[in-house]
Amino acid sequence: MNTENRNFPARPPPPPFSSSPFASAPPPGVVPPQSGGPEAVGFRPPTRPFTPSGPPMAPPAGVMRPAGQPPLVSQLPGSRPPPPSAYGPPGGGGSFQRFPTPPPSGVPPPPQTLAGHLSPPMSFRPQQPMASVTMGPPPQSMTSGIPGGFASPSGPGFQQSMPGGPQPSYPGYPSNQVLQGPPKPFQSPSQGPPSAVSSYPPQTGGFAQHPGQQNMHPSYAPPPTSNVQGLVEDFNSLSLSNIPGSLEPGLDHTSFPRPLDGDVEPSSFAEAYPMNCHSRYLRLTTNAIPNSQSLASRWHLPLGAVVCPLAEAPEGGSICQTNNQEEVPLIDFGSSGIIRCRRCRTYVNPYVTFTDSGRKWRCNICSMLNDVPGEYFSHLDATGRRMDLDQRLELTKGSVEIIAPTEYMVRPPMPPIYFFLIDVSFSATKSGMLEVATQTIKSCLDNLPGYPRTQIGFITYDSTLHFYNMKSSLSQPQMMVVSDLDDIFVPLPDDLLVNLSESRNVVEAFLDSLPLMFQNNVNVESAFGPALKAAYMVMNQLGGKLLIFQNSLPSLGVGRLKLRGDDPRVYGTDKEYTLRVAEDAFYKQMAADCTKFKIGINGYAFSDKYTDIASLGTLAKYTGGQVYYYPGFQSSIHGDKLRHELARDLTRETAWESVMRIRCGKGIRFSSYHGNFMLRSTDLLALPAVDCDKAYAMQLTLEETLLTTQTVYFQVALLYTASCGERRIRVHTAVAPVVTDLGEMYRQADTGSIVSVYSRLAIEKTLSSKLDDARNVIQQKIVKALREYRNLNAVQHRLGSRLIYPESLKFLPLYGLAIGKSTPLQGGPADASLDERCAAGFTMMALPVKKLLKLLYPSLFRVDEWLLKPLADLDDLKDVVRRLPLAAESLDSRGLYIYDDGFRLVLWFGRMLSPDIAKNLLGADFAAELSRVTLQEQENGMSKKLMRLIKKVRENDPSYHPMCFLVRQGEQPREGFLLLRHLIEDQMGGSTSYVDWVLQLHRQIQQNA
Amino acid sequence: MVKMTLIARVTDGLPLAEGLDDGRDLPDSDMYKQQVKSLFKNLSRGHNEASRMSVETGPYIFHYIIEGRVCYLTMCDRSYPKKLAFQYLEDLKNEFERVNGPNIETAARPYAFIKFDTFIQKTKKLYQDTRTQRNIAKLNDELYEVHQIMTRNVQEVLGVGEKLDQVSEMSSRLTSESRVYADKAKDLNRQALIRKWAPVAIVLGVVFLLFWVKNKLW
Repeated sequence: MNTENRNFPARPPPPPFSSSPFASAPPPGVVPPQSGGPEAVGFRPPTRPFTPSGPPMAPPAGVMRPAGQPPLVSQLPGSRPPPPSAYGPPGGGGSFQRFPTPPPSGVPPPPQTLAGHLSPPMSFRPQQPMASVTMGPPPQSMTSGIPGGFASPSGPGFQQSMPGGPQPSYPGYPSNQVLQGPPKPFQSPSQGPPSAVSSYPPQTGGFAQHPGQQNMHPSYAPPPTSNVQGLVEDFNSLSLSNIPGSLEPGLDHTSFPRPLDGDVEPSSFAEAYPMNCHSRYLRLTTNAIPNSQSLASRWHLPLGAVVCPLAEAPEGGSICQTNNQEEVPLIDFGSSGIIRCRRCRTYVNPYVTFTDSGRKWRCNICSMLNDVPGEYFSHLDATGRRMDLDQRLELTKGSVEIIAPTEYMVRPPMPPIYFFLIDVSFSATKSGMLEVATQTIKSCLDNLPGYPRTQIGFITYDSTLHFYNMKSSLSQPQMMVVSDLDDIFVPLPDDLLVNLSESRNVVEAFLDSLPLMFQNNVNVESAFGPALKAAYMVMNQLGGKLLIFQNSLPSLGVGRLKLRGDDPRVYGTDKEYTLRVAEDAFYKQMAADCTKFKIGINGYAFSDKYTDIASLGTLAKYTGGQVYYYPGFQSSIHGDKLRHELARDLTRETAWESVMRIRCGKGIRFSSYHGNFMLRSTDLLALPAVDCDKAYAMQLTLEETLLTTQTVYFQVALLYTASCGERRIRVHTAVAPVVTDLGEMYRQADTGSIVSVYSRLAIEKTLSSKLDDARNVIQQKIVKALREYRNLNAVQHRLGSRLIYPESLKFLPLYGLAIGKSTPLQGGPADASLDERCAAGFTMMALPVKKLLKLLYPSLFRVDEWLLKPLADLDDLKDVVRRLPLAAESLDSRGLYIYDDGFRLVLWFGRMLSPDIAKNLLGADFAAELSRVTLQEQENGMSKKLMRLIKKVRENDPSYHPMCFLVRQGEQPREGFLLLRHLIEDQMGGSTSYVDWVLQLHRQIQQNA
Repeated sequence: MVKMTLIARVTDGLPLAEGLDDGRDLPDSDMYKQQVKSLFKNLSRGHNEASRMSVETGPYIFHYIIEGRVCYLTMCDRSYPKKLAFQYLEDLKNEFERVNGPNIETAARPYAFIKFDTFIQKTKKLYQDTRTQRNIAKLNDELYEVHQIMTRNVQEVLGVGEKLDQVSEMSSRLTSESRVYADKAKDLNRQALIRKWAPVAIVLGVVFLLFWVKNKLW
């Protein structure tokens, strides 16, 4: 009630009400809405011009209500109270405008329901809290009621009345939600969405999926007819984006949408389907699947998903995720065997239905009727739920882990195996890489997963290969040198790969002595190819993880590479892309062989010169690994980074010898996969070693012209060996509604996962064409998508000078720009070194959604004020980290800023920053050139505070260790290189600024609009 | 030389542990593993087998012992001394029972004791070379007698179950066939009866008809 009082006075009297539609004779379907009239009048007498028409209509409605659907009436206020509270009352008038056109054709019972809906807001509101509990049937009434409630704010006056966009204008919503308690009872597990949904009229399919109160706001426009819906959508987008069509000095680019809160997932969807797996495991690009190929072809954005099968639950940091933190439950089916569909091999999941008094179950993906094994049988209760539902976690949780029986093993579960292939040539020892690496490995020996079965082995190489016999009975490792690079052989059958717990002493002795052994090595050659082959020969019995430490370009033996990256003549030509793919077929062949024998490769590259990451990365790409690149490695500078990242790589929970498959309902099919893996058959991803930091994107196609089902199910299954030696299957199940309406798809779009798919597509594109082309592809795709959206909505409105986009995609243009400015794609060939580009490309191909978004639009925040505050605590990082737009304007020369993209931290010291702060933070040499200064903790509170903050930022995301750079304003070219170039909203040499980019998009959208 | 080692529960044939790099240089190790698995399956079906047995297969030989409802099986070259092989299995058994004894019955998932493979590897290495002092001493140890252990062929062993199946199948076929035979015989009997009396009945019928016609006319 408060909300009304607050809002309504602010609203100007709607001018268009007197316009023609109202004057025309309302068709029969319109009758009921008017019943809202009298009450509205009573409430707000002065504004309604249509009052005269109200009273005559009201009585019939009143009569109809008791006669029609008495139970509905009582439920209605609970089912949809907010719309009336915020918008409902004017709806009496507004609906008139719309109703002549859309007599709610698809909704047979509208008269009663409308009557019920519109009249009660005043009288029934007090019942809201309890009413919401019994929400079963009313969706019909909701949908039909909406036209009255929502079509109303059609006039421009209305839009203006909500300057802050929809959110601010709903102060009542949150409280309503709280009051109404869980919308979940509606989604009681037994009944499941399919059954609930199936009762809705087809037109409302999309909307009906969102019974939760909160969904109202994103899915404002229930689509009984395209007309009404268009209007409402329009107001969604308009209220957030007013962009004049011409470049004027006064262009208000501060109002452009920026993801300053980080990645915002559409939460409504998760609430509508509480049994879905968490979005960190599976994120669809849109949570509404088109029902026909023609609809899908109008949806120009990618249709697909981003899967991160082993995603870690976030640490207790953020509040919103506390509910979802529980571990994935482990389930043992025991003697009944794993329950799977006979035809499509779907694992049993919360969405299967049990019939025939519990003797059969229907597969939700292919709707095959399967027998329930005797051991798994349970009686059903009156509502068709299994009696033992609360003990069957696989029937209530979207993510489960199942213990695999013998049929899922071709061999006994392998132990975790770590094999190291280390370059010991001159540059490796000189840069200190060897020392840091061996120290780190040694310190991680205790934490390697899988004790006591873990195995470990080493090969080092320069111009020859060195093998190490680490038999447990020896006290010192024995080194064997093989110098014949043309005919590689392994000098010893066993004991090159040894059990860590048995040979612990030998391994430690080896790691201690390795840097000393090669201390004075002046060999600059690198027999990388032969060494790789040797490692493969040692490992191919069991598989495992191969970590390659490469310091110079492979120069000897098979797989030797040329210094091709040095040739500037190739840049900018059509042949340019060849530099970004592996030169020698040897690498791809090795990668294929390694995948076959379950060897996953992680590459660490350290050289300051060209090392052809493109070739090294190929190994990682096809074996499900990743590439770490430390250009110009110096142990004093990069040591910490290598230490943390190597330790993370060695100690994080890893899934071995795994394969992944994603199944989906009939009529759709996953057609392409993007990420680091090897495709074994058409849809089986071979992942020799996978961990929580890897995500895979995939795209869908519709196979049938028309989907007849109401929902589509997705099931990701990852069969893997855990480090403890258990073979397990991790199953994630999710459901998404099928919709007939493009607007609904836009509303349910998920920018984060769309951007993930796009960036992978763009990076793949750079492997076959020029950078420009790759950027253009992304731009074209965004333009097409927004143009389609414009066409969808522009019919009724003059939107000439406005760029419109759905609320859900408000960040898409910015992220599109960011993709174009990311390291793998940025600028011309000279803007980033080839190796850097390739390394970043391989990294981005594997990044999970959140991490990728952070890399694309890094956070920038000011810390000097916070540092000066005496009592500020670190307890909530949120208070400190107020993200700023990534533009040079955000930088105040009196401030100290931190730029954090998840891989680097840049501390930017303003020119006029108070010297006290600089002195406190940097110690005595605060005036020196900052490139020589490393940040160390000083003996004062301020410095300690800053270090704590940095530590916290790093701990927030342990997958990479952001290195700290210090730079002072005006310190060129470092400043430009470290920071200014990454301020993606600015125009930097040849690239467009955010404003220009938006204008450019807008122009292109309008061209063919 | 020991080629592969498997430990399984006899009651249900569930594999409990396995030597890791088994079948390293064996071209058709998969085939032999398959044989081992069907052997376990046979054992779990409860055909009463001796608790110690050697089973020949191709150029190799399986030795196994069953103790405490766990079957310890190893595959060796035929030339490898039987005595050593069984001592190797004894060693495994002692250690396995010591480490995992109480948990064997409750193990639910396959390879529940895969951690035991490190011990298998270690022990295997000790037995790899028959000419070490230690192994020669073991060979000469008269206390451990292996002569009475039966040696059979793998086809024979795996065939036992098969043969029983065959017999029961044959007998059931016999039953059904004899039933068919009885039915047929009854049918034939009836047909013979008809064939025998039909002419007589027809003649009589004609005669009666004639009589009747005659009576009617005259």
